[in-house]
Amino acid sequence: MKRNLLLSFIFISPYFVFSQDNLGEIHGNFETNLQSYNEDLSIEAEEADEIILNNAYLNILYNKGNFSAGLRYESYLNALKDYDPQYKGNGIPYRFASYSTDGLEVTVGSFYEQFGSGLIFRTYEDKGLGVDNAMDGIRLKYSPISGLYLKSFIGKSRTYFDYSEGILRGADAEFNINEALNLDIKTNYILGGSFVSRFQEDKNPVFNLPQNVSAMSGRINIIRGGLYYYGEYAYKINDPVGAFTMDKNNYATGSAIVNNITYSQRGFGISFESHRVDHMEFRSERAKEKEFIINYIPSLSKLHAYTLMALYPCATQPEGEIGFQTDLFYKIEKGTLLGGKYGTKIDMNFSRTNSLNGGNSFLNDSNEHTPMLISFKGEELYFSDFNIEIYKKLSNKTRVNLLISKQKYNKDILEGKTKGEYGIINSIIGVIDISYKIKQGHTLRVELQGLLSEQEDKNAKYADGDWSMILAEYTISPNWFFTFQDMYNWGNPYVEKQLHYSNVSVGYLKGANRFEIGYGKKRAGIFCVGGVCKEVPSSNGLNLNISSSF
Amino acid sequence: MKKIIIILISAACFSSCDVIEGPYMIDNGTNPIDTTSNNFVKKVLIEDYTGHTCPNCPDAARQLEAIQEFYGDQVIGMAVHIGKAFARPYPESMAPKFQYEFRTKWGEEWDGFFDITTVGLPRGMINRTEFPDDYRLGKDNWSERVISELEKDPEFGIIITPEINGNSGTINISVEALSNISGTYNIVVCLTESGIIDWQKDGSIEIEDYEHNHVLRTILNDGNGEEIGSSFTEGDKWEKTYSINISDLELFNIDYSNNTLLGGNGNAGGWNTTNMQIVAFVYDITNYEISQVEEVHLITE
Repeated sequence: MKRNLLLSFIFISPYFVFSQDNLGEIHGNFETNLQSYNEDLSIEAEEADEIILNNAYLNILYNKGNFSAGLRYESYLNALKDYDPQYKGNGIPYRFASYSTDGLEVTVGSFYEQFGSGLIFRTYEDKGLGVDNAMDGIRLKYSPISGLYLKSFIGKSRTYFDYSEGILRGADAEFNINEALNLDIKTNYILGGSFVSRFQEDKNPVFNLPQNVSAMSGRINIIRGGLYYYGEYAYKINDPVGAFTMDKNNYATGSAIVNNITYSQRGFGISFESHRVDHMEFRSERAKEKEFIINYIPSLSKLHAYTLMALYPCATQPEGEIGFQTDLFYKIEKGTLLGGKYGTKIDMNFSRTNSLNGGNSFLNDSNEHTPMLISFKGEELYFSDFNIEIYKKLSNKTRVNLLISKQKYNKDILEGKTKGEYGIINSIIGVIDISYKIKQGHTLRVELQGLLSEQEDKNAKYADGDWSMILAEYTISPNWFFTFQDMYNWGNPYVEKQLHYSNVSVGYLKGANRFEIGYGKKRAGIFCVGGVCKEVPSSNGLNLNISSSF
Repeated sequence: MKKIIIILISAACFSSCDVIEGPYMIDNGTNPIDTTSNNFVKKVLIEDYTGHTCPNCPDAARQLEAIQEFYGDQVIGMAVHIGKAFARPYPESMAPKFQYEFRTKWGEEWDGFFDITTVGLPRGMINRTEFPDDYRLGKDNWSERVISELEKDPEFGIIITPEINGNSGTINISVEALSNISGTYNIVVCLTESGIIDWQKDGSIEIEDYEHNHVLRTILNDGNGEEIGSSFTEGDKWEKTYSINISDLELFNIDYSNNTLLGGNGNAGGWNTTNMQIVAFVYDITNYEISQVEEVHLITE
């Protein structure tokens, strides 16, 4: 940590040195989240020994011409319960300096980077998920000619307040044909290729392990008017976890194929996305731990914003799944019968993923399996969602958003339970979201949500059953908002669990500062962002959130 | 351009990929160190924190077994069932599944101190090294830590001499400093049991007759143990004899499960002394690192 402090001093010192000449700009933002935890046996919420827990961070960014430097101070005293407790204490785990000159950009220290769609490499930070696998090392970006973009890096990935043992090296090239050749044609082609390799010493005396494990990918992007195509293929060489037992060391290669096609024009859009991933989790260390994951495979499902729609969210299974998603968007013009005075927006979406045939690729001394390239019928369903969203402005004051969704959720697979424990949960979810402008600056928004569910296996363990939810939000712009929310698990098969989870909160915004205070119960559940999920424990307590920027 | 990229990528790969061709297992005929002589060797304790309803835990148990198989007596295992999420017995209505109480007072205390369940099971500690930073290891990281521990020289020698008749008897422990050692050390004396046949979740299935090995049953001198001295000179000795009664110890666990543990059902009895081991370990009280560990059968033939 001393080293970090020293480095950060070096990085921000130019500001202090030059500030008298008013050179450069300095910006930042701060956020703190404080939560108290009371014991509530009815929802199995545990109290915190510390009574209150707090997560906070401050970002500082300095810019001057081609030079920039920044740092982030993070404080977990101690980390909120939905965070991994390995985030513990204070520190400056993120600090960087960067400059660019004549097309070359040099970054030292921490950086986030993504190659292509992230199939072989993506480091990112998500406070909601508690994910931060920032690289620490050196990154170069160079554009030798117009249309050609090169990137390379070497470094280690962050794991909480430490770094992974594996050393990562990577390079990416992107070639924009039209830009490079100065072509003035309607179709735009962009090609790309990337390569990432990890070094970790083989100390296993029982198995022969690869010390340098690499993954590579090629991609193509074609754009013509409203038509957009993106395709990427990724490949990873053998990457066994390094166990002492034969059946845990999988020497098979991994692969991933992504195909996305979108067509859009004014008032109409259609898209079809698909992927097939097989043994494609890539980590900064051999060991299979979530904090080492350095690639990213987005989930093939609509990211729902409404609570009950996202009660059973889809999580990508990077070790093996095949699926697709299609989305149709249409705006009924205003002045028509269905369009009314303001027009109507309709969004239809269908997604479905299932297992690879016979499981993912597997290879060791005694066993070998390669799944079929494409198989849907008869495979184990992981997730499916058919939903329709209708958005309508009824008048100057009233807007309505209606959603209905039919989902199938394989709780055993998506939450890592024992097979057959819960089985597949079928649910139908309806949402009505009405926003009404009472007078200038005063808006009331009400959400009514309902979820009816049924388990396919009648002998399985009971899941939560049926839910309803109401949310009322009153906003007095620009300064105040008041929210009340109640989730009611009225259909829980266990009577003692037919509980209300209520929350109230008040927020105040002024200038660059935002304050929010709330109290209530949260249910234990799964929280996901883009297919990456975490389990959140139940809680009962007060929370305070303050954020500001300068 | 595309060609150039492909060539570049494949060139990069051939220079820095290690594609391993089978057979993947190394057959180098390595034999464990012979630990039957009088000379003390460094031994390593793997504490496998686990639970009977934890589906990923048997993988860790198998990893422990594989490491033991490779290193022989030098690696000592201990399965510590902890927490309400994965080790709590199922309610009676779900009988006969998962009715046994594997948890103990000491396991829960260790979990409280080392904060294991909060990071999820299975987790292991290898001689409790690198506390408080990098000590709760996932199973795939165990072997490396074991290897680096085994490279160290032994600091203490422990001799365990049990004399058990039926359900009671004595256990004599003697510790000898093998070099000059600074710092203060404690000793913890535990009993474990192997060959317990009971339910266990294993990946996607529930196994009725799973064999639970080296399960922590009891500790004879408290979870923190007792001091054996400080600033040792080579040859310094410490010795103590413990009187034990297995039925009393068993009853303690039953009471503890009934009265203290969340969701406990008191179903913690049925100990089989012929399958029990004594595990004694000596640790540095400043960093909790285990310096030496020894294991013998409770009942010697």
